[in-house]
Amino acid sequence: MAACYDRNEITRRQLLGRGIGAGLSLYAAKLLTVDGLLEAAHAQAVPDAPVLVSVFLPGGCDLLGALPPLEQLGRYNDLRASLAPGDAFTPLPNESRLGFHPALADGLGGGVVGLFANGRIGLMPGIDYANPDLSHFHSRNFWERGMVTLQYGSGWLGRWVDVHGSALNPLQAVSMDERLSPILTTDRLPTAAVTDPEAAAVRFAGMGSRWAPKADAAWQRISSLSRATPAAQAAMDVARSTQAVGKLLAPVGDAALHAPVAYPEGEFAQRLRTLAALISQPLGLRVATVTAPGEYDTHDNQARDLTKALGELSRGLSAFQADLEARGIADRVLTFVWSEFGRRPKSNRSGGTDHGAGGIAWVQGTRAVSGILTDFPDLRRLDEHDNLAVTVDFRSVYASLLEQWLGSDATQILPDAANAGRLALVR
Amino acid sequence: MAWTEQHVRRLFWRAGFGATPQEARHYARMGQAAALRFLLDGDGQGEFSDIPPARIHGQPLDPVNEPGHEVLWWLDRMVRSRRPLVEKMTLFWHDHFATANQDTPLMLAQNQMFRERALDTFLRLLEGVMHDPAIQLYLSLAGSRKTAPNENFARELMELFTLGSGYDETDVREMSRALTGWRKRRANGITTTYWDPNAHDDGVKTIFGQTGPYGPDDVIVLVTQHPAHAPFIVGKLWSFFVTEPLDPATQAALVATYRASGSSIKAVVGQILAHPALYARLHSPDMIKAPVVHVAGVLRTTQTPITLRRYSPLMTAMGQRLFRPPSVAGWDWGTAWLSTNAMQARVELAGALVSVGSKTLRVRSKRAAADWTPREHVDAALETMGRPWIAHDTRAALLGVARDFHGSGPTAESAQALQRLLCQLVVSGPDAVVH
Repeated sequence: MAACYDRNEITRRQLLGRGIGAGLSLYAAKLLTVDGLLEAAHAQAVPDAPVLVSVFLPGGCDLLGALPPLEQLGRYNDLRASLAPGDAFTPLPNESRLGFHPALADGLGGGVVGLFANGRIGLMPGIDYANPDLSHFHSRNFWERGMVTLQYGSGWLGRWVDVHGSALNPLQAVSMDERLSPILTTDRLPTAAVTDPEAAAVRFAGMGSRWAPKADAAWQRISSLSRATPAAQAAMDVARSTQAVGKLLAPVGDAALHAPVAYPEGEFAQRLRTLAALISQPLGLRVATVTAPGEYDTHDNQARDLTKALGELSRGLSAFQADLEARGIADRVLTFVWSEFGRRPKSNRSGGTDHGAGGIAWVQGTRAVSGILTDFPDLRRLDEHDNLAVTVDFRSVYASLLEQWLGSDATQILPDAANAGRLALVR
Repeated sequence: MAWTEQHVRRLFWRAGFGATPQEARHYARMGQAAALRFLLDGDGQGEFSDIPPARIHGQPLDPVNEPGHEVLWWLDRMVRSRRPLVEKMTLFWHDHFATANQDTPLMLAQNQMFRERALDTFLRLLEGVMHDPAIQLYLSLAGSRKTAPNENFARELMELFTLGSGYDETDVREMSRALTGWRKRRANGITTTYWDPNAHDDGVKTIFGQTGPYGPDDVIVLVTQHPAHAPFIVGKLWSFFVTEPLDPATQAALVATYRASGSSIKAVVGQILAHPALYARLHSPDMIKAPVVHVAGVLRTTQTPITLRRYSPLMTAMGQRLFRPPSVAGWDWGTAWLSTNAMQARVELAGALVSVGSKTLRVRSKRAAADWTPREHVDAALETMGRPWIAHDTRAALLGVARDFHGSGPTAESAQALQRLLCQLVVSGPDAVVH
């Protein structure tokens, strides 16, 4: 056992201390007029421009709990005797290989199960990478940055923005969150985090309409300076982006924000609702991230926690898909659902499962290739740590999404793209 | 090393929540040693400063029962404590041993334990953590028993709390066995934990190649004696206070201090706070303030008591909700705090402060006359807001703002609006984000 401290291994803080703003700040403050911004956003809002939405299930979602392999039911019941009674999952018409956790049938039109039955979902059981790292932190970072190395760097979709994005429009890449997802961390181009589009403006107290334009110009002035260090420069850049976001979102009114379908209660669903509204507007939004709620790190109480988490996920995602379809924009939105790793096939006798390999992901949308797109790991052939075999590398999926959905050269974005395989994900 | 008000401000921001103008003056005169002594040991002049305690709608806080009040209760301590380093380290440990989703009394008890042991030895602190019901419940240690050991706590103990690397899956599994024995129970309406010797596996375990009938107290010794531990923990402490990378010589010196002092947190932190790297680039700071540090700092340096519940949701909007870290890995720090949503909330905070947050600031932020020069305007705003640091070019930009504000000619009304705007800009602009 290596007991020595590896000085080359970076810490979490070092990794995250670098990030946005590490490169040049390209966008010139002079151009940051309302008209200039709207123009830039509109220019990017090509009517058919595809939008990629990332939905992250934090904690390591259990593949076997979410998608019980009906083909391997005997072995499954041996491994999971303490967790899931063999008859408690929802079978599918025309699908004998696997069933769904019953909570995945929650929501409009039968939830995620309904979406699958209607050809809207392509499942990727067994997704991971070779020699998986069972640390939440390490694995999450690999997925977020699109590379399995502990190096500094921008997010995988942040790099896509840096190559293909606009220097003016932060709404091209939006985290529906208070914080920017590390997936969208760029080296130079602007991004946004949005929770409430109606309260996004940079507004100063006591200005009224008379002084507000002066205040606006003042903010622009103090956020257009150069700074010597990346962190201080990033603070400048985000201050400028914040004003841009407020201006770009100001024209988005109640009518656009009103959803044509009923969403369930809860922050996750409300964020998806807002996202659908933003996608429907000519704002040039191309990539977005949402984090799902609930406890996927089910070391104990898995039956309760997974049911709750998957139910909320299913209700939110099915409303989101119905909304996109009702708005007539579903053909240009692809949703990618993922988690940082899977869980151990054998349950742990605390009523839960420990960190494992071979996780779960899916693509969702009217143009997603539907069905079961990867081999389900064989429960009789576990690896040396009693974990599931990995049947598809997430970098293959990323490369396929970049090429087939965003129409980009994956090798410019992902260092490992040339050596990664491809899956057909888009039709 | 010269010792100026700038040095005091840097030290007090990094080690606490900013320096008031009085503190900056006082400790610039007294010297670095006195400033460090105050931070590390206090000055024996009581627990809190003269800022009145938090009151919401005229009532004292009820952290146990009123949602959001637990956040304000801790924020209030950050604002008023005469031991700012203790509160800052309590925040460090809250992030390091991140715990969430437990009943408020348990979270507050954990918080108090962090505070009491914030500068103690790491051994004592880890002992407190090991016996803390909130983290036992959060990481499935409670309920991990001989017949069913749960790996969660052991894995995070090594990866996130003590080592970072230098262990393997066997160590995880064996350590899990050594840590079995705590169980859950309901008491006084909340779920808590207790030790049940019958649930503990007292068999022989092999951890880091050493063999014995280990239990929780042995595990604390094993992980803190592991060669990876001291470099891991001093490195994490360093990057909490300093943005410069930790060079090998300094790391070796900190490790030596840590080991020689029997894992004294105070000794290591004291050495870091005295290190010249902490005072690098005094005129271009580059550490991003965490949201609670920003909010507590603005309140503390403007001597503003907490009277608004709204500070709690504003910190959430800035990306940090105390007692609810996003995962056991805590929050992502540094530039990860920056987002357009967070920046908008920082502006909103400034507006709240000069309108409803403080009568003093409301009055003072409007105090201006039509004949004030731009320089008088900028200086008055800085004075009102507790003299926050701004860069030279920011000052020039604000002077420009003041010159161009009035249009056809200054009036009493335009002067007041300008003054109020400048007050908000100096505590919400990009310079206020860094320290």
